[in-house]
Amino acid sequence: MFRKLKLTACLTVGLAMAAFPTAVSADEIIIGTATGQTGGLAPYDGPAMQGFQIAVDEINAAGGIGGKHKIKLISKDTRSDAAQTSIVAQELIDSGISVLVTPSDADPSFAAAALATDAKIPAFSPAASSPTLPMMGGDYMFANFPGDNVQATVSAEWAHKQGLKNAYVLYSPDTQYTTLPLYFSDVFKKLGNTVAGEGTYTIGQQDFSAEVTKIKAMNPPVDVVMTAAYEPDFPAFIRQLRAAGVTAQVIGSDGIDSPTTFSLGEAAEGVVFSTAGHATSGSALEGFNKKFAAKYGKETDTIFSAIGYDLMKVIEAGVLAADSIEPQAIRDAVANLENVEGVTSMITYKGTTGMPVRQVTLIRVKDGGRELVAQPSPTADLVPAPRMQ
Amino acid sequence: MDVFIQQSINAVSLGGTYALLALGLAIIFSIMGMINFAHGELMTITGYALMYCGLVGLPFVIAAPFAILIAVVAALLMERIAFRPVRNSSGATLLVTSFAVAVILQTLFQNLVSPRSQAVILPDMLAQSVHFGSLSIGINQILSITITLVILVLLNWFLRHTILGMAMRAAAEDFSITRLMGVRANAVIAGAFAISGALAGVAGVLWVAQRASVDPLMGFIPVLKAFIAAILGGLGSLTGAVAGGFALGFIEIYLAAYLPDHIQPYREALALGIVIFLLLLRPNGLVPAFNVGREKV
Repeated sequence: MFRKLKLTACLTVGLAMAAFPTAVSADEIIIGTATGQTGGLAPYDGPAMQGFQIAVDEINAAGGIGGKHKIKLISKDTRSDAAQTSIVAQELIDSGISVLVTPSDADPSFAAAALATDAKIPAFSPAASSPTLPMMGGDYMFANFPGDNVQATVSAEWAHKQGLKNAYVLYSPDTQYTTLPLYFSDVFKKLGNTVAGEGTYTIGQQDFSAEVTKIKAMNPPVDVVMTAAYEPDFPAFIRQLRAAGVTAQVIGSDGIDSPTTFSLGEAAEGVVFSTAGHATSGSALEGFNKKFAAKYGKETDTIFSAIGYDLMKVIEAGVLAADSIEPQAIRDAVANLENVEGVTSMITYKGTTGMPVRQVTLIRVKDGGRELVAQPSPTADLVPAPRMQ
Repeated sequence: MDVFIQQSINAVSLGGTYALLALGLAIIFSIMGMINFAHGELMTITGYALMYCGLVGLPFVIAAPFAILIAVVAALLMERIAFRPVRNSSGATLLVTSFAVAVILQTLFQNLVSPRSQAVILPDMLAQSVHFGSLSIGINQILSITITLVILVLLNWFLRHTILGMAMRAAAEDFSITRLMGVRANAVIAGAFAISGALAGVAGVLWVAQRASVDPLMGFIPVLKAFIAAILGGLGSLTGAVAGGFALGFIEIYLAAYLPDHIQPYREALALGIVIFLLLLRPNGLVPAFNVGREKV
């Protein structure tokens, strides 16, 4: 009998210890990150979390958020898989986090958004750009990147200003993000131009010869091709397009803000894409890039590291405004944030459904490097409404 | 008409790559009765070899054969380390072993190289094309078609006119009898893996030359396509694998070329639908293997 009691007592203590593995001081804020450190999203989530870590280290070195809330980070890998994302997100929620960071793509983030909403914990995706994410993901889901519809409007207006008249868009129905060209198509038509075709591809397709032949055979000829394809599809597409002798202007979006794009040589020269920022000399972004190089011993090769840094600044601003580490209070504060100073742009959530208002940058690939084209604001009336694919 | 010819050239080029991949799978299957799902990882290894060659500044004409050699070595190691110990096990064991090899290799690439895509430096020439009237054929496509043809001819010669080749054909028909004739099983199987590695290497070079980047998971989609092509052609039949590869290439390209835009999103489903339909007509594949369902090894 006593033995049984002892056993029960041991078990209870053991379980209690398992449930609270580390002592958490009352003022510590726990942030859980469920991001794709391996697999298809690693090119985006990897650098984003490196940047995020820089911000966390800075804040903690200064005594925590507002000098009192030290940040404790629990990081887990989702392997870029939607099912694994929901498992990992649930584990994090169960371990008492106040804020959840989800993968940089809308589709796996949806899996986490439902769980975050149930637990009433604010969730942020570093670089998902589909405006449907916060819309369908619920009140607790926030994005941190210029929306696809906004990026597409900026690109379409730019193309229109260049006097380009006849577009071909290539999209993939496989994910929310890869349907961005359909927004471009809407805006480009609204501006009085024509869209000769809306072709599709499958993510990972690799062989674009059929699509390229179609584009080449268009009559009248296409003078601008817009796609949101990213690695490995974009490099394959652009090489095949140029090999076929099509010289039309190619416009891409943030997914190709990656080292491969700049190493493609002649094929990628002149490609213009929309992204979240550009390190002009003396800018905050340039300052961040120096910090990144100092911490990781190499230059950052993508905007996503700075995006991760900015995300932590948004969370910090939310906690400061709420003056609390209680999840509901943080969510309400973030929803009303205005002009948070990020290193890529000013960030505003007030008046949105969770898709922040941020600057969009157009970059041209020139001599294997970046050339700033413009940082225009889109004409508000032209921005298409988010649409679920 | 021009567009039709152009699309047909596209189909031959894509089909050729599929045929090489399917052949690699078929040659192992015909002898061991195993689908090697780690075949795609041999392509990935080729890709990384190309990447490192590019980084140290080796010209592509040297880098490509070197990368193929690496794939052959990797295939031989794979056989020696992973598959020889389970050679006489059931088909399911072999299948699971090959999956395990694939996953272990992917994880190694992620941890030892990088989880991110790595750019592969390629000569600009590969992104150019030759024009015949209104037709334009990419250098890449020309390479792909020529290399496929050369490999098919070479392989055919090897299987018909060399001792090892004949032993492999005999082993594919009846391994036990072949062994009774004094042929060493290890030599035949290692030979099959070496050829399969070379085929994966060649396909890997062609594949990477198209995408200009390499990532740890890149082998998955090609091996899946090769699997479909091998099944369509008749599992275990080498002629079938080639036929299946080309058939799949033609189906995919013609659907992409001629389906109306609004049906395009269902293209993959339609392509697989056609494959299933063909299999209903010919359940053992387009060119069935000689000994469907017989005991292996």
